[in-house]
Amino acid sequence: MPARITRWINERWPLDAVLRWSLVEEIPGGASYAYIFGSLVLLTFLLQIVTGVWQFLYFVPTTSRAYDSLNYLRLEVPFGWLIHGLHYWGASAMIILVGLHLSQVFIWGAYKNPRELTWVLGVIQLVLTLALGFTGPILPWDMRGYWEAEVGTSTAGTVPYLGIIAKNLLQGGAMLGQMTLSRFFFLHVAILPGLLLLSVALHLVAFRKTGISGPWKEAKRKDLGPFWPDQVYKDALMMLIIFVILVGLCAFGGTPFSGPADALETFYTPKPEWYFLFLYQTFKAFHGVFEPVGTIGIPLFVTLLLFLLPFYDRSSERSPFRRTTAMACYAVFVAWVIIFAIVGDYSKPAVVTASTTATPESGSTFSSDPSSQSTANIKQGAQLFTSLGCIGCHRVKRRGGIIGPELSAELLKGRSRQWLIIQIRDPKAHFPNSIMPSFTSITDRQLNDVVDFLLSIAQGKTASAEEKTSATPSATPSPGGPTAPLRAEVAGPRGSPGPASSVIGNADLGKYVFDQNCASCHGPQGTDKVQNPGSAAGTVPSLNPISPALFSKEAPTFTNNVDPYIQHGSRPVGPNPSLHMLPFGDDGSLTQQRIANVETYILSLNGVNRTQLIHPGLEPSYFFWLVLIVFGVALFGFRVWNGRRS
Amino acid sequence: MIDNLFGVIFSYAAFIPPGIEGTPRYGGAHFSNSSLSPQFVPVGGKSNGAALQPDPPRRDFLKLVIGAMSALVAAALAVPLIGTIIGPSFRKTGIEWTKVGDTSSLAVEEPINMKFPYKTEDAYIRETVTHSVWVVKHSTKDLTVFSPICVHLGCHFDWHPEIKEFICPCHGSVYSITGKVLGGPAPRPLDTLPWRLEESDLYVKYERFQAGIPEKIPV
Repeated sequence: MPARITRWINERWPLDAVLRWSLVEEIPGGASYAYIFGSLVLLTFLLQIVTGVWQFLYFVPTTSRAYDSLNYLRLEVPFGWLIHGLHYWGASAMIILVGLHLSQVFIWGAYKNPRELTWVLGVIQLVLTLALGFTGPILPWDMRGYWEAEVGTSTAGTVPYLGIIAKNLLQGGAMLGQMTLSRFFFLHVAILPGLLLLSVALHLVAFRKTGISGPWKEAKRKDLGPFWPDQVYKDALMMLIIFVILVGLCAFGGTPFSGPADALETFYTPKPEWYFLFLYQTFKAFHGVFEPVGTIGIPLFVTLLLFLLPFYDRSSERSPFRRTTAMACYAVFVAWVIIFAIVGDYSKPAVVTASTTATPESGSTFSSDPSSQSTANIKQGAQLFTSLGCIGCHRVKRRGGIIGPELSAELLKGRSRQWLIIQIRDPKAHFPNSIMPSFTSITDRQLNDVVDFLLSIAQGKTASAEEKTSATPSATPSPGGPTAPLRAEVAGPRGSPGPASSVIGNADLGKYVFDQNCASCHGPQGTDKVQNPGSAAGTVPSLNPISPALFSKEAPTFTNNVDPYIQHGSRPVGPNPSLHMLPFGDDGSLTQQRIANVETYILSLNGVNRTQLIHPGLEPSYFFWLVLIVFGVALFGFRVWNGRRS
Repeated sequence: MIDNLFGVIFSYAAFIPPGIEGTPRYGGAHFSNSSLSPQFVPVGGKSNGAALQPDPPRRDFLKLVIGAMSALVAAALAVPLIGTIIGPSFRKTGIEWTKVGDTSSLAVEEPINMKFPYKTEDAYIRETVTHSVWVVKHSTKDLTVFSPICVHLGCHFDWHPEIKEFICPCHGSVYSITGKVLGGPAPRPLDTLPWRLEESDLYVKYERFQAGIPEKIPV
């Protein structure tokens, strides 16, 4: 019956001929593990296509939903973590395998006549693979993706003359936005895979036309071995092993949750994917007018060098031992890629980190000459006065809380820079009974800016305080009204969870937000008992451990419980509490992205993982062990069977 | 040399004796010297020209192993592929009490369409949309709450006070104020919704039922 079916098909479509063409080939020197890489690249590419297409079930390429939709896939869809994980880790595997394939062909001298075209098509595929590796991570539109898009398109913008055109074309406008995401989506899911499929087909045709080049030693090439099944067996065995490794990486390595995209976030250090780190580190060596040399010149030069390799290296010698120049170049190239990637990975750009060790004395390094205050610093200080929460207690220009004294020109008159720095860093130094929290975790620079702002008030430069209202995005919705943290007369938060409550944040970024905005009252890591006279508890509530009323093992519930406090603020129970929670969301002093991040951090302080799987299908580690055991038993079975058979 | 290294490492890693890896003869489960020796002789035999000389039992076994390994990977991959297609398709969502509004000012025995904000959680999209219900007040303690959706094919019907009937504009289903079918293709009376009063504030559990069938079954 099957014979009849195949005959029927063969009379209408050349099934046998196509199978013969794909499988029947004599390999000089026989099958070898050296030749597995091409097949493995193809198989990982197929895996990328399948897992990529499957993500269409959930992913939407819009700036407002991309990250949420991906997180839904990863956390709430059975085996969504695996589909996305295989795509994420498969990309890295594919790039490594492309590199190994290229290396093998180079070392074996297999690109030489008559396989020049196979090589050229291969280099095109290398470029397409890297382009896929660049466009893919942008799509989640998280911090990683957003900044990759920003830096990537700006890199294109460094090209002389054509740069701005290229940049605007890539971004779909003058700035990053929905059009940018749509363009990268278009490239990543349609254009680049389409071109890659086409070039793979051409590559395979060329490969079948010229065959495997075999060992470089003439004598070893005399023996011939079949491609099917000998070579395919080796390919399949390695495919199996790579698949198990990928499942292991998905189960134990996971995929990153870098937090929602936030253009205002300054704590985030954008770095490219590992496979671009060597370029990233190389770029850094070029400054000013030479920048395009690093950003465009070097990548273009290396690509051309690879592309034209078979045309300038025309000798027929294939043994790597007799091609010392080629091998030396290869060694230099590999060393460049690896060393620069490692250096790039460890390198830290100048990050402004919150310093917790700064003492009041460190402020003395700043000039006490008021004339050195720039308007920019004062403006910055005015913004910080709001965002750090000072305005919650202190009134300036008829805005702000009434817990602390109004910071009028009279009050501040005669206060030196040094005095103000000590007052902010350690209020009890001047007033032992002060309830003002110690702002130990703000940076010296921020401190200096706030002091600049305060000194400007003392000098009657009140204009800057007016500017603040327009410069700060956190102006109250009702103009003229005070920021009014006291408006809630009932205890507890008012209102429901805000947009941040459903967004998966990033705890590392949240820690920065916490240190700057929350730690002064809740203590570093939320553990301190800061005095709060007039409240029933007498202290600011601890966040670590948090009240059992708010705690939940379920991350979404926990977040929903905490979110209203951060969004809308709250007034502690008690006759006349001195401190109360500020409405960070309502008054705009924290973006929703930052609130999501700080909530993730607060959850992590209490041992709850915001990225916990809600519907995993099967626990990732169990799935891995299951796959490992089933595959292991099967391979062992083959071995035993093979022994019996003979 | 490199070929051999790969061969040895991977055949151990995968429990596969080099016997089926690539010894000249299918040597069974024994680790033959030839596969470990530097002169790694590829399959197909030592003699030139005998390369594609069939070695059927061994080759057939290899083909079988290839098929089995491919099937294993395909099966493992099928798990997430099927899992994500099923996804939330059969997930039941809990329906919560939603506040509709104040009923104190409603006229008795006069259906009124009350609109209310309803928080929906549609996968990753959390939005507040406007829903409506038809409320018939009988007394301060007793109400009837109708789903606004015609039980025939899901259109929104309307109340016609002059004839005191609910009429669906799509296919002309007609219902009385109690929800009884008076005419048209409607297969069952209007769907009522669970409700409760807190003081005079009405709360309902807003849910939908399958249209077009005689039974009232939640979707």
